[in-house]
Amino acid sequence: MSAHTHAPYEPVFVGARKQELDDVLKRYPTKMAALLPALWIVQEARGWICEQAMTEVAAQLDLTAAYVKGVVSFYTMYHQHPVGKHFIQVCTTSPCLCAGADKVVDAFLEHTGCKELGVTSADGKYTVIEVECLGACGFATPVQINLDYVENVTADKVPQILAGLK
Amino acid sequence: MAENTVNLTIEGRPVSVPAGTSILEAAKTAGVLIPHYCYHSGLPVAGVCRMCLVEVEKMPKLAPACATTVGEGQVVHVYSEKALEARKGVLEFLLINHPLDCPICDQSGECELQDYTFAEGRADSRYREPKRFDPAEDFGGDVLYVKNRCILCTRCVRFMDDVHETTALAVVERGDRAFIGKAPDADLTQPWAANVVDLCPVGALLSKDFLNKARAWELDRTASVCTGCSQGCNITVEMRDNAVMRFKPRANEHVNKFFMCDAGRFSYRDLNRADRLEHPLVAGMAADWETALAAAAKALQGRKAHVVASPSLSNEALYLLKKLAAKTGATVRYHVAQGPEAPLPGVDDLALRADRAANATACELFGFTRTDDVLAGLNAGDVVIAAGDVLEGLGADALAKVGAVIAIGTLRPTTTVATVALPIATVVEEEGTFTNLRGRVQRFLQAKQAPGLARPSWYVLADLLASLGEKAGFHTASEAFDALAVGEAPFAGLSYGALALSGAVVQGAAAGAK
Repeated sequence: MSAHTHAPYEPVFVGARKQELDDVLKRYPTKMAALLPALWIVQEARGWICEQAMTEVAAQLDLTAAYVKGVVSFYTMYHQHPVGKHFIQVCTTSPCLCAGADKVVDAFLEHTGCKELGVTSADGKYTVIEVECLGACGFATPVQINLDYVENVTADKVPQILAGLK
Repeated sequence: MAENTVNLTIEGRPVSVPAGTSILEAAKTAGVLIPHYCYHSGLPVAGVCRMCLVEVEKMPKLAPACATTVGEGQVVHVYSEKALEARKGVLEFLLINHPLDCPICDQSGECELQDYTFAEGRADSRYREPKRFDPAEDFGGDVLYVKNRCILCTRCVRFMDDVHETTALAVVERGDRAFIGKAPDADLTQPWAANVVDLCPVGALLSKDFLNKARAWELDRTASVCTGCSQGCNITVEMRDNAVMRFKPRANEHVNKFFMCDAGRFSYRDLNRADRLEHPLVAGMAADWETALAAAAKALQGRKAHVVASPSLSNEALYLLKKLAAKTGATVRYHVAQGPEAPLPGVDDLALRADRAANATACELFGFTRTDDVLAGLNAGDVVIAAGDVLEGLGADALAKVGAVIAIGTLRPTTTVATVALPIATVVEEEGTFTNLRGRVQRFLQAKQAPGLARPSWYVLADLLASLGEKAGFHTASEAFDALAVGEAPFAGLSYGALALSGAVVQGAAAGAK
């Protein structure tokens, strides 16, 4: 973690993003209620949510940093560590495993150079993780890359999918 | 019966409590302890541990006793088959990832998980998977967090949030990975933070200072009062082998509720000092008490006394010192060490006070002179009577011209000019009372043997008075206190016995006295 904290922290909520937060706040009766969308703004801006960002969000929403940390760590979709530019989530719940999801995972790990689940590739482009049901069992194996779904993935399609990522 | 009183039956016993009381508190009044983890009388109710489930007739489900208020005519069964079965289930879940390393756990012997499992839990576990393991984490201050043992009752989180009002802790992660985490850049170095160790019902939050020092069942416990400041927090002195192992707060709703500050908690170390004055000294040579008292009386003959008191002496000792000063025609001076005040925000009128001495209030009530320079007005040829290690840190030249020095203290006098040195007991080695800043007179009891020939301070001062011809023979601290209650108007009407362990307030104490 220390490798990522050398640079001084630049606040997220300035300019357009501050405006975005203000717009979000209008939708809710309390500032606290805007916590999840505020954290999404941080994650979109920085790729992950570091402790300084939690402190900043807490200050923006009149919460305590401890409370924000509790929420960030509760939800698995908020990243508490830096991840690759392409965050690849492979569904490995039962139907997908029957359809060969484990081989899809192996193929992603091999072709991205990540080698291990949850580890970001040396070029910083990819992170591969296994996730529970993505709700697309009819299209096993589904893979979610950032916000996009790719369905009916098999191990042999993996190089082609990776080549298509920008 | 008052209108807002509710009558109910708990375990077949009739109970009357004010409306709004929880079933758990009501049961306490009937002598029934409902098992609980997350509930604590000094904290907001959370209702997260589900250990206090009881059966209430006509309620469809079991009710958490901590979060259910009493109702008129309720019939509560704490030990019904249904309630016991539910609590057994709760315990089985709590123990799924609990390491059961009681033999090496500091909490063992004072662990609520151990106690309730022994009382109500299963004899074995049905869980066959590997247990979760996480390394222990240093929380800063005096606190070590052993994640594996945590049952997530959140008492520590609520103490820091709602009582200390300094958010430092939160529950992080979720499900079986959840644990207590520090906030970004936070730790537990706040002045009252170590209370989370006492609040933790299991061995998850431990005192680093006490770690691996003693087992809970080896300790001898004695009620006492903290001498760290003028607040007078009630404490339990915990001893082993005539050494103080730790201080724990003792509940007193008038003074410190359930808490004590970290500075007070670690003041026990001074009480294990080895460099004690163990026998009287006359001109630097060891002497017996008769010789020393005779030498002191002789030194005082025909000379003016200059009396300096320690504001950490007991009421009894200060009273006798006042009589001694009156006998020799002197005023008594005292100096109170100062430190920054550190309040506990969530509790009314509780703070580590700026006056870092236990009994400055009594010095004031006795009309002693508060000063920063206790030797001011000292004339050549005077006899300095220094009661309670007050010569510590004073150079020999400050006392160069005096006629004699009678040093009454627990430590060897640092100056070599003491004509007579009389060894006294420390606060944990004698009995007596202190008066806190709100005028509450509180007893402390003897926990430890005094070293060598050292005697209780009131005993030594009474002997010194006697050697000057004053009749002051007391056999116990209680007799000395009774004489004080007769002799000093503010203490009128108080009796040693009636003080009990929660104390009583002096006459005319300041408004807002507790």
